[in-house]
Amino acid sequence: MTATLDSTQQSQIAFHLAGRLPDAERPQQPAAAACPALLAGRRELPALRYDFPVVLASGERFVRPLSAIIDEVIHAAGTELQDHGPLTHHLLRLEREIRSLLAAGEHGTLASVWDGAARLLVAGGDAEVEASLDRARRALKADGDLVDCDRSLPGAFAGRAWHVVQEAKSARLAADLRRLIIGLTNILGADRAQSRGGRSPERLRASLGQTYESVFDFDALSRVLSTQAHGGLAPPRRERIEGVLAVLRAQRFVHAPSDDDAHTPRGYGFEFTSCTDALTAYRERLPRARELARAVAVAELEVRGEYRDGVHDALFGASADDDFGRDTLALLPDYFVSVPMARVHGEETDSLMELLSAGVPAKVLVQADDLLEESTVARDGHFAVGMRARQLASMALGLADVFVMQAPASLLYQMREAVRRGMAFDGPALFSVFSGASGGTTLPPFLVAAAALESRAFPAFTFDPSAGPNWASRFDLSANPQTDRDWPSYEIAYEDDGHRLAREQVEFTFVDFVAADVRHASHLAPVKRAAWNDRMVPVHEYLRGTPDAGRIPFVSVVTDGDVLYRAVTDDRLVRAARRCREAWHSLQELGGIHNSHAERLLAREATAMAAAAAAAPTAVPATAPAAMPASAPAGEAAAPAAEERDPDLPYIETMRCTTCNECTQVNTKMFAYNENKQAYIKDPDAGTFAQLVEAAESCQVSIIHPGKPRNPGEPGLAELLKRAAPFA
Amino acid sequence: MNTATECLLRMVDEQHALEDYQGGVPRWCTGCGDNAILTAVQRLCRDENLHPEKTVFVSGIGCSSRFPHYMRTYGFHGIHGRALPLAEGVKMARPDLHVFVNTGDGDCCSIGAAHWIHAVRYNMNMTLMLHDNQVYGLTKKQASPTSPIGTRTNTSPRGSYLEALNPLTVTLGVQNVSFVAQVVDWIPELLFDVVKAAFHHKGFSFIRIIQRCPEWLPHMHEPWLHDPGRVLLLHHAKALQLSSGISMLYRTQLEHDPGDIHRAREVASGTDPIPVGILYRNPDVPCYEDTRHAGRLRTAAELRTGLEQEFDKYTVWPEDRVPAPADA
Repeated sequence: MTATLDSTQQSQIAFHLAGRLPDAERPQQPAAAACPALLAGRRELPALRYDFPVVLASGERFVRPLSAIIDEVIHAAGTELQDHGPLTHHLLRLEREIRSLLAAGEHGTLASVWDGAARLLVAGGDAEVEASLDRARRALKADGDLVDCDRSLPGAFAGRAWHVVQEAKSARLAADLRRLIIGLTNILGADRAQSRGGRSPERLRASLGQTYESVFDFDALSRVLSTQAHGGLAPPRRERIEGVLAVLRAQRFVHAPSDDDAHTPRGYGFEFTSCTDALTAYRERLPRARELARAVAVAELEVRGEYRDGVHDALFGASADDDFGRDTLALLPDYFVSVPMARVHGEETDSLMELLSAGVPAKVLVQADDLLEESTVARDGHFAVGMRARQLASMALGLADVFVMQAPASLLYQMREAVRRGMAFDGPALFSVFSGASGGTTLPPFLVAAAALESRAFPAFTFDPSAGPNWASRFDLSANPQTDRDWPSYEIAYEDDGHRLAREQVEFTFVDFVAADVRHASHLAPVKRAAWNDRMVPVHEYLRGTPDAGRIPFVSVVTDGDVLYRAVTDDRLVRAARRCREAWHSLQELGGIHNSHAERLLAREATAMAAAAAAAPTAVPATAPAAMPASAPAGEAAAPAAEERDPDLPYIETMRCTTCNECTQVNTKMFAYNENKQAYIKDPDAGTFAQLVEAAESCQVSIIHPGKPRNPGEPGLAELLKRAAPFA
Repeated sequence: MNTATECLLRMVDEQHALEDYQGGVPRWCTGCGDNAILTAVQRLCRDENLHPEKTVFVSGIGCSSRFPHYMRTYGFHGIHGRALPLAEGVKMARPDLHVFVNTGDGDCCSIGAAHWIHAVRYNMNMTLMLHDNQVYGLTKKQASPTSPIGTRTNTSPRGSYLEALNPLTVTLGVQNVSFVAQVVDWIPELLFDVVKAAFHHKGFSFIRIIQRCPEWLPHMHEPWLHDPGRVLLLHHAKALQLSSGISMLYRTQLEHDPGDIHRAREVASGTDPIPVGILYRNPDVPCYEDTRHAGRLRTAAELRTGLEQEFDKYTVWPEDRVPAPADA
């Protein structure tokens, strides 16, 4: 750079390098209300329609956005109306009102918040509004907890998904346990009915009822029947069945009501707010769980009548802490732990790691509310952006058999299927969610969470070990915007000094994300349009080039009453942005985007192909060999080579035999059936040529070929040969 | 229920040989097509390792209906035309059993026709084999509904007067039809393949097996038997795939998508060449036993209480023993 620096540029460069402005240029007011230019148009969220708030209910569709429900109500309530216009308008007003109420801290079920919002709208005294809202309220079928994108969302959302999955799982297990209990009870009942006691005069009398009891002699009947009574179940089997029944009835993992509801034991709880507590509970219950698994397996065998003492006793007699019944353990409910990131340290971290690495069926939600924590090691403003959340996620990825999902809360609705998949995953799962409710900004949590995603500060991904055998099928990065770029790029439109519409392409970088946080305002120095100059380059461009003392990185922010500023960025923040980009690059590589191994291989192959093409310019085009096999008739290629057969020997086309017994009735030594009960010639010398000819003639499907006579001295050969001719 | 238990069960699973499924010595005439069907079914039982105690063959009356006697499994030789209601009862009470029905053209298409139509509509999971020899054989040659027009029999000495009924198009015309196939007894490989596909289909599998009767109609199928070109083999990636041997021998072939019911009806209407293969298959038709399942097992005590409540509604009580009205 040859041009000399003017004083403005000098102070901007000084700020960039040292993070301080000369005293004279310090703004009177700190740039508290700065907002990244891209988010400026979206600050007034309640006026916009988007995925939140959501209604959490039960069943298949456990989460639905308010806007979808409102649309449904408009459709349902408006079918009889000629003109939907007013109804639509009123309901959209109601939707905005509901959003505002939630933003102001209101909470509750959809019905209760709806009614509150409707009261506010009707208070204006507009009869038409009142009629519309009445009609709509009657058409409203959905209800459930109404949750906005705030601090409470991740817990409520993941908790609901867990609940939906667990409900189905528990119902399956309960039905199975019930079936087994009934099956075992029936075995004991049948045994009792057939035993000597079951055929006592009293039992017989009780089983007949009162109407005809006078016409029977139950003592005589009992005597007759008792001669037939069998010895009953062998004592070890009875003991085994009763033992298993006791375990099935006493289990506390799912609620499986028995005949005697009063004695149904109280069920275990599976929701925890600390990994340590969950781990302790899991350890305590493990012996019971194994006992249940074993009982289920034995019961299943008993009910099917397949228990073989000699084989199964040895298996079930093994020590209590064997691994048997792991599949049954997977049928038991999973543990749900919801823990804030702030509490994940020390013992809690150990417990979390143990839960995940030991394959405990736990679904752990770790919720981060603030990504911009400063490093505890060096308090020099060295950003440790989402470091601990990222650490957790990468540790879990390293375990390879843990379902991992990382996502900002703003994306939860779109990733609901992934959440459900994680909850249904057969093993531990970690959900790392950034709520956006950091408190360092005036922006609503939804925007903060969305900005974290856009700026790659908190990228979204899922790692599902059940999705396939390799990273390509397991790892999914597609929920991020413009995954192949370093930073997503968007257009902003604004009014310039001459009141003309101006457009500009901006990329949303990590610095833009930080710019929205007042706690870090000191890292940015907003510069008015008058002081903009050619040395200023957007941060994304600055990061792309080599460090250059002459260039001044900036991000576009809106502050000071909707005025567009360029905020000069200090070097620490730029360094943090660079680290953030590196982390994103690693994720991209895992997700198969700009994968360095693949690119290297591609380059090598391209070089090799170019070299080959250069060496043999007249080589056959690559498509030619592929065309050759296609020209050969497929049917003929597939046909088996004809068997070498002695034409003089008799034979049968066994494959075509219809098992009609004609030939086997002629001579069972000569003709026999193979393992598929189709005829073949077992021994051609076991009978006469006459028998062969006779069999060939009587064969319904004409598949017996007599060949040549084996014994030239057989009488009447000339005649026989004539008869055999059609079967040659 | 779970894989560990399945493993345990497999550990003691006994493999059965074909002979293990052979019951009595068949009393069918030598050369009868029933033998081919019996062999195909015994092969199926062996290959699928069906437990004899979990398998039941139900039949009506006729030559074909002697089938259960020749299987060493459970069997029920029922009454004329009523094989299907019996089989449906068995399936309803014991959904864990593999149910097969063997019936003839007289048993199924004449006296049992009403049950046949409704069995298709009920779509219960079982396999029906219609042994169609186009004549009443056990009673020595009377015309059956499927006898071709002009068939001379003891009841139609001048030749039968009516066009033969086509069991395939009838079945394909009933609501809820889910599996229809046709095969001839003289191509054992295809007979086995079709029986196997029918067994694996969940729902009511209807197989019409065109079968020779060497005793009463010895020449009926000879033209087809000796001219492979007059058999139309149906094949498709989603249905039968032909072996090269079969493919070489029977050159008249048609690629037919078993999901296309209109085309299936068209193909089924043809009698020369005889279409052989899977005409229609729709695995999505619900099975009656599934839709009627209570969804919840009841304990013996619950059953007793429920039954007693029902009986009490109709009981005529002696005057001095009228019970107090139930709280409910």
